[in-house]
Amino acid sequence: MTWVTWRLQRTETTIAAILLALLALLLVPTGLSMASAFHHDGLAHCLSANPSNACGEKITAFQTRFDTLFNLTNWFTLIPGLIGVTLAAPFVLDLEQGTYRLAWTQSISRRRWIAGKLALPVLVAVGSAAVMILLITWWRGPYVQLNGRIDTGSYDSEGIVAIGYTLFGLGLGLAIGVIWRRAAAALTIAFVGYVIARIFVDSWLRDRLVSPLHGTWTMTQAAAHGKPPQPAALYHAFVYSENIGIHGGSGPAEAGLPGKGASLTYHVIYQPASHFWPLQLAETGLFAGTAAVLILFAAWWTHERTF
Amino acid sequence: MSESPALRTTQLGKRYGATWALRDCTLDVPTGSVTALVGPNGAGKSTLLHLAIGLSRATTGTVEVLGRSPISEASAVLPRLGFVAQDHPLHKGLTVAEMLTYGRKLNPTWDDELARRRIDELGLPPSRKVGKLSGGQQAQVALTLALAKRPELLLLDEPVASLDPLARREFLNAVMEVVAEHGVTVILSSHIVAELERVCDHLITLTEGHPQLVGRIDEIVASHRLLTGPRSDPSSVARVHHVIRETHTDRQTTLLVRAGGHVYDTCWEQHEVDLEEIVLAYLGYRPGVASRAPAAREVVTS
Repeated sequence: MTWVTWRLQRTETTIAAILLALLALLLVPTGLSMASAFHHDGLAHCLSANPSNACGEKITAFQTRFDTLFNLTNWFTLIPGLIGVTLAAPFVLDLEQGTYRLAWTQSISRRRWIAGKLALPVLVAVGSAAVMILLITWWRGPYVQLNGRIDTGSYDSEGIVAIGYTLFGLGLGLAIGVIWRRAAAALTIAFVGYVIARIFVDSWLRDRLVSPLHGTWTMTQAAAHGKPPQPAALYHAFVYSENIGIHGGSGPAEAGLPGKGASLTYHVIYQPASHFWPLQLAETGLFAGTAAVLILFAAWWTHERTF
Repeated sequence: MSESPALRTTQLGKRYGATWALRDCTLDVPTGSVTALVGPNGAGKSTLLHLAIGLSRATTGTVEVLGRSPISEASAVLPRLGFVAQDHPLHKGLTVAEMLTYGRKLNPTWDDELARRRIDELGLPPSRKVGKLSGGQQAQVALTLALAKRPELLLLDEPVASLDPLARREFLNAVMEVVAEHGVTVILSSHIVAELERVCDHLITLTEGHPQLVGRIDEIVASHRLLTGPRSDPSSVARVHHVIRETHTDRQTTLLVRAGGHVYDTCWEQHEVDLEEIVLAYLGYRPGVASRAPAAREVVTS
């Protein structure tokens, strides 16, 4: 059974491997140059307790230089969906092409065939997601040291949540595929469904899994030097919105600055860095749990409804 | 002969949505027989075979293969069955050798030597992709997969429908060889009657999901007669014999009957009738209609 399942999933596994290889081809050279720039500019020193005055500029220069690449990585979040959906293909193709009638009239039971045919793509999905996570985590290392990893671009590809995404893509492909029995169409729709679900979770549900914090800081204008303050709680946090309010003070406001003696209230809604793992666990549980339901549904449907 | 028939169905029925694909089907297929399952497309042949192999679940009634249920005792009965589905599905991207490995991995009773010998005798290159083979060659690969299980009962669903006459003959020859060598019971469905008589000794005809004619081919041929006589109402004949088809010209009436004894009436001239004609008559026959009123008659005006 293992040989059979493996042989019939070879093409899809190869596609997943090629996707990861292309990713590595992009990330390894740029990652090396980024790490060396990080080292060369002495940015590690900037993160220490006593950064030198030039650090602000250095960090800005570094960020500007790799900005395009960092923006590009937002698209990497489609890869788990692509891999997951692709790995659903062998199961659906057996139904579409009628070869399930060949498989189910050999000597093994339908139940065993279904179990074997589903276990392997799940393993490959988890493995591919793990490779992707390791690769991107290494690559984003310098960036994460500067900015933390709870912003969308890092959060989606680090930790464990991408494993949940990949399994979800697989489960959605299987569930739609066993009903429709048209691999190309079902898997395309499944990928669209994956994107919609991701957008929904990113933009609405995530904040309800682990609520962002509201913080208010008050300081005098003198302390602020006209720049937003950086309270320690906001270190490596993901800031949704910030508001600066001005109270009191005397004298005319000059050049957009409040007058002497005014106090500033700085109001921020943010996910602190410490929310990374609670969010990862909640969201991974959500996607992996949904995936489990979808995969079990596909198994049940195939076992009970294909007569 | 073993105590249980190779296939036994009792009041078997299968409904898809509102349509009955098979209905009220009660029949036995004896062990050791080679049975042709004949009927037009959509008559329920595939449904009956799928019920027998456990690919379908009965809506009503029961089905037993080799004395067991193909669904609840699948793991006990599947290794003893060989099945070639309609259009002989195979993994087109696998090579012939890989297709045999597929069979070896999924069947504990697999006879690898038999499989390799057959592929060799057929002259099929093991490294060739299955999708690159001709239809006849693919059918032979599918048959090889079924045979290498060393089944006691071989079920073939329209095995020759998509084949050209030469490939059809070669395929049926292969089936006959297996029957001669291993004594396998065979049920094969077909909507083509020609050539089946050479291979089969039993016959089942299905029309609209219902079996009409079930039995040994020699007995079927012996019990059917073609009666010709002056044009007349066949009701007197119908009292004793089963009228399957009646044909009238201006002066003559021709009846195909299943004789319920001797035909004594001397105004009827009797002829032997061949299997193909009997089968064709049954495929156009509506039960309970032709014997009472001549609704199914063909009126030939010459």
